[in-house]
Parts: sequence; structure tokens; C-alpha cells
Amino acid sequence: MSARAAEVARLWRTRPRRPFVAWSVRALGLIFAASWLLGGFQASGWLTPRRQANLARFLHEIRPWPVRDTAWDDGAVRAWMADLWRLHGGGALMATLAVSVAAIVLAAAVGALAAPLAARTFACPEPFVRGGRPPRWTSRAAWTGVGAAVRFGLVVLRAIPEYVWAFLLLALLGPSAWPMVLALAVHNAGILGKLGAEVVENTGTAAPGALRALGASRRQIAFVGLVPLGLPRWLLYVFYRWETCVREAAVLGMLGMSSLGFWIVDARARNRYDEMLFYVAAGALLVLAGDLVSAFVRRAVRRA
Amino acid sequence: MRPERRFGATGSLGASVGVLVLGLAAAWASGRVLDLRAGDLAPGAGGWQLAGDFFGRALRPALAFEGAYDGGRLGVVLQAGRAAVTTVAFAAAAVSLSLVGGLVMGFLGSSAWWPGRRAAAVTVPVRLLAAAMRSVHELIWAVLLLAAFGTDRLVAVLAIAIPYAGTLAKVFAEMIDEAPRDAAGALAAAGASPLQGFAVGLLPRAVPDMTAYAFYRFECALRSAAVLGFFGFPTLGYYLSASFENLHYGEVWTYLYALFVLVLAVDAWSGRLRREVTR
Repeated sequence: MSARAAEVARLWRTRPRRPFVAWSVRALGLIFAASWLLGGFQASGWLTPRRQANLARFLHEIRPWPVRDTAWDDGAVRAWMADLWRLHGGGALMATLAVSVAAIVLAAAVGALAAPLAARTFACPEPFVRGGRPPRWTSRAAWTGVGAAVRFGLVVLRAIPEYVWAFLLLALLGPSAWPMVLALAVHNAGILGKLGAEVVENTGTAAPGALRALGASRRQIAFVGLVPLGLPRWLLYVFYRWETCVREAAVLGMLGMSSLGFWIVDARARNRYDEMLFYVAAGALLVLAGDLVSAFVRRAVRRA
Repeated sequence: MRPERRFGATGSLGASVGVLVLGLAAAWASGRVLDLRAGDLAPGAGGWQLAGDFFGRALRPALAFEGAYDGGRLGVVLQAGRAAVTTVAFAAAAVSLSLVGGLVMGFLGSSAWWPGRRAAAVTVPVRLLAAAMRSVHELIWAVLLLAAFGTDRLVAVLAIAIPYAGTLAKVFAEMIDEAPRDAAGALAAAGASPLQGFAVGLLPRAVPDMTAYAFYRFECALRSAAVLGFFGFPTLGYYLSASFENLHYGEVWTYLYALFVLVLAVDAWSGRLRREVTR
């Protein structure tokens, strides 16, 4: 028994450890604790009488107004919803969807162009070939510079949230759909460029290496060696990001452009909480439909 | 073996090309729906003026306040630091709350947690609830909760925590279900109860991935918390929008750089953690 206990103790002592992970978890726990203790998020005084009255009013007014003070009537509610849909809902839903699609295609195009330049296996003096003559230091320095510059640019693009990009672009370009499209495209180009670089780095080196050994140019390798191998995995990422784009496209309307978010904030400003809830629900259904389409496409792409 | 599989491609090239063509067609149709014109991309005269003023300050962010308010020589820098700390506090409170909800709902929504066949009676409703929570964006949750409860710091925390809990529930459930079942199976064969097999055999295989993902969500929450400032909460977005509207572009850049440094630092932290965990 004691031999067994000693064996257990030995196994415990020699268990694989990850000090960085352990300390990270502790540090995050400390940040959590400090934010609750010092951040002023206490729930005391959360439901004052005034708040309760406000909440009661809110819960009363989110009932569709045709049935607000009467019994629920399916027909009346349906007519009310049809009116809202005809007035703004349908158009706003289409605009939201269109913004997300236009943005993700732009982002994917920019990300695909940046991806090989950000990949360490491609932006180097002699891509995909091991051994051979050592490259000249000028060539090595030039490629290191290009890779680092592209990677840094992508970091800048994705570090600024879409909403902040849209806020700045709206002021610069004036009101049209462009600020929404560009804001989503810029942020997601940063993310897709990074993910695309990982796709290039994780693609097997056999095919592009063989092409290079046969004397193919860098551009030929990219189109013949990398695109066919990396395209499916790349599209998985694009569709993951498109799901986020649909959510964000709805929200960016809050800045005053005509997607669902605009009508949500507009209904709030007019104290029409029932209309607000209608637009929120329409947005949620669009997001769920987008997730389903994306899951379907991703499965089709993944199937080999 | 099909040729594209031989070189380590993952997935179907034919389907991918089809999707690509459909995507381009959809983008063209979207451009028509939105009436996007290349001509509208050029700012007007006022826009050029503003762009010049704004980008002219990119390399000269403000250190002291540009307006009448005197906060000392490093007033804006100190303000940006304070706002960054507040942003971290909002993000941390929200993520810790969403972790509680995400873990509970993730366990309840994973099929591995439920031995036996009637799991769907619980997993399906839990997954639907999680889908509903995450299908509404945190800023829209903020608008809803602000309308219901009025302005309170807890509203911002809840607005981030609700959709994040829905996302964490989905991802955690998938990680638990996709963790290798070998150890849990061996324990079950040796006579362990399902709970023992889950806690000792299955969960340890999923915990590293779950930890890495929680850190990634913290990074996302920082961005969300910063943006919630546009709704009046004292995070970076609040000061950024106020300075922009006062045409104090130097200050805007100071806040942008603060946000940039904050996101970059947490990005590097969670990236290193992810590499250690997947190694």
C-alpha cells in the first residue's frame, strides 16, 4: 500500500506542468476579483422603487400596442408585425444582410492578398525549399521587413473595433452604406489576413516546394500550389467571420445608418419599446439564419 | 486517394470554388441593394479637410487636454490610463459572470455530461437558450437593458455577459463532447461511475482548450467594453467619442493608442497561452 502511495506521490511530483498557464490563470482570477471589489458593480441599490417602476413600465410597453391593454389577439399582432415589416423592417433586414456580405467579400479579398506576405514560410528569401545556397543578407532582410510590416498592419486593422472604425469613417465619408461596409471590411481583413497566414504556414510544403524546385515563380506557387490546398480551410474562416459580420452589421446602424440598429435606436428614442423588440427579434432571427447557412456551407466545404 | 488529399488539403476544392463564385455574385447583388458607388468613397471637401486634420495628428497624440479644461501636462495620458483600467474592470466583471453561466450551460448542454438516452430533453432546451442569448449582440443587449433598468454600471456588465455566456456555453459543450473519450472509457470499464469518469477521465482533456478559449473571450470583452463607452459608460469609447465630437483629434489618437496597446497586450498574452496549451 505504501509502495503504491509512494508511486502516486512520484507521479504527482513528475506531472507535466505549465507554469505560464498556471500563473496566467491566477493573474486573471486576481483581475476578476479586483474588478468586482473595486469596479462599483455591486447589485445593492440595483432595484430601487424608481427602477422597479421603470421596469414595470418597460415590461408593459413591450407588449405590441394593438393588444397592450386587451387580451392577446393573434390577428391584430400579425397585422401590426406586417405593417412594421413593410414600413422599415424588411428593407432594414435586407440592408443588414447586404452590408455583411459586401464587407466579408472585401475583407476576404484584402485578407487573401495579405496572407502570403504575412506567412513566415512564404515571405522569406527561398519559400518552401530546404537546404540549397544560403540567401544573401539583403534578400533576407528585405523579406523579413515585408513580413513584419504586413503583420503589423494587420494587427492595427484588427485591434480597432468595427464600431470605432465605423464612427471615424462616418465622419470622413458622410452618410452612405460605405462606412458600415468599410468598417467591417477593415477589421475583418486584419483577422482574415492573420488566419490566412496561418493557413499558408500550415499547408504542406511538398507541393509548393516541388514547384519551386522546378523553377516556378513566387506568383505561380501562390496560385497553383497554395490556393487549391488552402482554399477550403480559408473559406471555413471566412464563413466564421461572416457570422460575426451579420451581428455587427445590425449594430453599426446605431451610428445613424440604415441597418436594423438604426430602427432599434430610433424606436427606443420614441419610447416605442414594442417596435424596438420587434426589430431586435428580427435581427436575432437573421443572425440565427446566417449561422445555419454558414454551418451548412462549412459542412459542404469540409466534406472531401 | 484524390489528388488534392495527397498534399494535405482539408476539404473539398470543388465545393469551395462553387462557394467562391456564389459569394462574388452575392457581393455584387449586395452592392446593388446598398447602392454602393465608387464615387461616394471620395470624401467631400469638408471630408478631406477633416481627414487632413484628423490624420495629421496621428503621430502627434495629445499629452495635455486640448480644450479649456486643465488637467496638467499629462492630463490626457492619465485620463487614457484611467479609462483603460476601467475598460479592463468592465471586461473582467463581464467575463467572470459569463464564465459562470457558460460553464453551467456548457455542462448541461453537452451530451457527455448526461449518461443515458434522455439527454436531449435537457441538452436541446439549453442549447436553444444559449443560441437565443448569443444571437443578440452585446450592444443591442445594452440598449434593451438600458431601456428596462436605466443607467447603471451593472447594465454594461450584463450586456456583455449575456451573449458571451451563450457563446461560451456552445463552445464549452463542443469542447467537452469532442474531448477524447479513451480515459473515460477505460475508467468506466474499470467500474467507475459516470460522474467519476466525466470528472477524472473526460474533463481534464477539455480543460486546457477551455482555458485558452476563456482568455480569448477576455480579449474580445475588452473591445466590447471599450465600445460600450459610446453608450455613456466610462470606458475608452466614451472619452474617444467625446474628444472626437469636440474636434480634439490629438486626444482621439491618445485614446486610440491606449486601446491599441491594451488589445495588443492581451492579444499577445492569450496567443502565448494558446500556443502553450496546444503544444
